[in-house]
Amino acid sequence: MIVSNYKSDVELNLKSKTKYAIETENLNIYYGDHHVIKDVSLSIPEKVVFAIMGPSGCGKSTMLRAFNRLLELNESAKVSGDVKIFGKSIYKMNPIEVRRIVGMVFQHPNPFPHMSIYDNVALGLKLNKLVKSRKELDETVEWALKKAALWDEVKNKLEKPASALSGGQQQRLCIARVVAMKPKVILMDEPTSNLDPISTKKIEELIDELKKEVTIVIVTHSPAQAARVSDYVAFLYLGKLIEVGSTIDMFENPKEKLTEEYLTGRMG
Amino acid sequence: MKREVGHIDTFKYFLLPFCLFVFGLFALMLAVYFSASIPIFQHEGLKIYTTNVWRASENPNKEFYGVLAAIYGSVYTSVLAVLIALPLSISFAVFVIDYAPKKIKEPLIVATDVMAGLPTIIYGIWGAFVLVPILKKYVMDPLYAHLSFIPLFSFKPVTGYSYLSAGVLLGIMVTPFASAIIREAYRSLPFMYREAIYSLGATRYEATKILVKEIKPAIVAGLLLAFGRAIGETVAVSLVIGNTFNISPSLFAPGYTISSLIANQFGNAFIYKYMVSALFAAGLSLFFIGLAVNILGILILRRYGHAR
Ligand SMILES: Nc1ncnc2c1ncn2[C@@H]1O[C@H](COP(=O)(O)OP(=O)(O)OP(=O)(O)O)[C@@H](O)[C@H]1O
Ligand SMILES: [Mg+2]
Repeated sequence: MIVSNYKSDVELNLKSKTKYAIETENLNIYYGDHHVIKDVSLSIPEKVVFAIMGPSGCGKSTMLRAFNRLLELNESAKVSGDVKIFGKSIYKMNPIEVRRIVGMVFQHPNPFPHMSIYDNVALGLKLNKLVKSRKELDETVEWALKKAALWDEVKNKLEKPASALSGGQQQRLCIARVVAMKPKVILMDEPTSNLDPISTKKIEELIDELKKEVTIVIVTHSPAQAARVSDYVAFLYLGKLIEVGSTIDMFENPKEKLTEEYLTGRMG
Repeated sequence: MKREVGHIDTFKYFLLPFCLFVFGLFALMLAVYFSASIPIFQHEGLKIYTTNVWRASENPNKEFYGVLAAIYGSVYTSVLAVLIALPLSISFAVFVIDYAPKKIKEPLIVATDVMAGLPTIIYGIWGAFVLVPILKKYVMDPLYAHLSFIPLFSFKPVTGYSYLSAGVLLGIMVTPFASAIIREAYRSLPFMYREAIYSLGATRYEATKILVKEIKPAIVAGLLLAFGRAIGETVAVSLVIGNTFNISPSLFAPGYTISSLIANQFGNAFIYKYMVSALFAAGLSLFFIGLAVNILGILILRRYGHAR
């Protein structure tokens, strides 16, 4: 197993030598007796797009849910090892605090269907008491919807239920909902796997835009998407971290045979 | 593809007679109620619904019936029942799904199903011998002693048989029905919404609040069912309501309900010329109340953007 330490990336090393948005140390995850994530240690630099790819069932979604302690919703899930955000163990933090800093976008667009578009974006702000006045709330909602490139499409129907939007719009609404809270990290679990190519393109452009301010960890089973959007890639296979490094390096010159097979489409 | 469409159509025609049968049966029943009510309408018009009198007489000309007190009592007690069932059934549903340890989850569900299926006379007797004395001693007497200037509490509780007793008993009886519907809707809420709300940094209480809002249609449906069961309930209510032709805003006053009126009076109604017809007319009013409540439910759901 090769775990690159990103030395090849000069630009990043100049920006910040030691600051990582997320680090895992010997992360192991089990569902009951089923050992799903096996001793994964990796470091995700700040303000980059970090892709986690691998075949279906290899544990991508599971690992992602360890980063914001969402795994704890599942009673059978057990975690050992550590996860740190900006150097601090998330297990020494309040899970609610963790989830405010580490936002998440899911595989199926999941805005609350009966809640208005406005309220969906305002929800996280209200829950975490991030705004002080109605005016500030209005402004932040508008700002977030603009960030998510959705404002022009919904500005005249903010009171409509979220279910009135198309799938791609709903996914951008979910991004707006997360962005509104100004998280430092956004986790995305195959955010475009249920969308058409045009919506996919929009979201990929968004990701490019967002990484100026936040770190994005995106799960994808598509090497092509990883190549398009990411700066770094980790390749996960059967719960093991096979290879990690800068996207360009890995696509041009994979060090592991498994990685190469996966990238060239010889593996499912 | 074409053939499949054909199949579906054939199946539709196969189902049609059954549908018509059910609908026809219902229409016939309604027709019977209408025609049996005609004599009383001819005798006194709509006064049967707008007055509170119950004058049986050997002389048909002196007979006069007005069931307003019973209509009032039916609606009053059923609304009370729904108000009581609403928080009970939602909290019970949430508790069973989210909080109950795995081991007691299924037993709890079975227990409520049994509760729902119990013969209502069991509730009635328990209500008359246990619930009414408790309510009188610990709720009615103290409230009357201290707050009798409020109209709701202004009636001196003498026996304890009252709207309140009936409403509470009905509330307990209908909770399992409402709760079952709410519980199943809450259980089948997709996991992705749970993940969504927790990923936004909600506490358990906040998450529950948002998720319960998402199943509002099921809550409305559950409460409609509860109202229907409450207003139709007969035996248990007639044991605790006091069976008095009385219209009072006070929770502690005795009253009547349509169902208990019909049950109590039917036995001797045949002696009089108009009483049977008056009871049919009373029953007919239940149809209308049921209709009104269901329309209300549809309106609520439509406002919610979920009507089908
Ligand atoms: N809630 C759960 N309970 C038990 N086992 C689970 C649960 N969720 C996932 N698993 C198992 O854990 C393994 C990893 O699943 P995971 O969903 O993380 O994979 P994935 O890489 O995200 O796959 P996909 O690309 O299909 O989304 C699988 O073997 C799966 O069967
Ligand atoms: Mg997945």
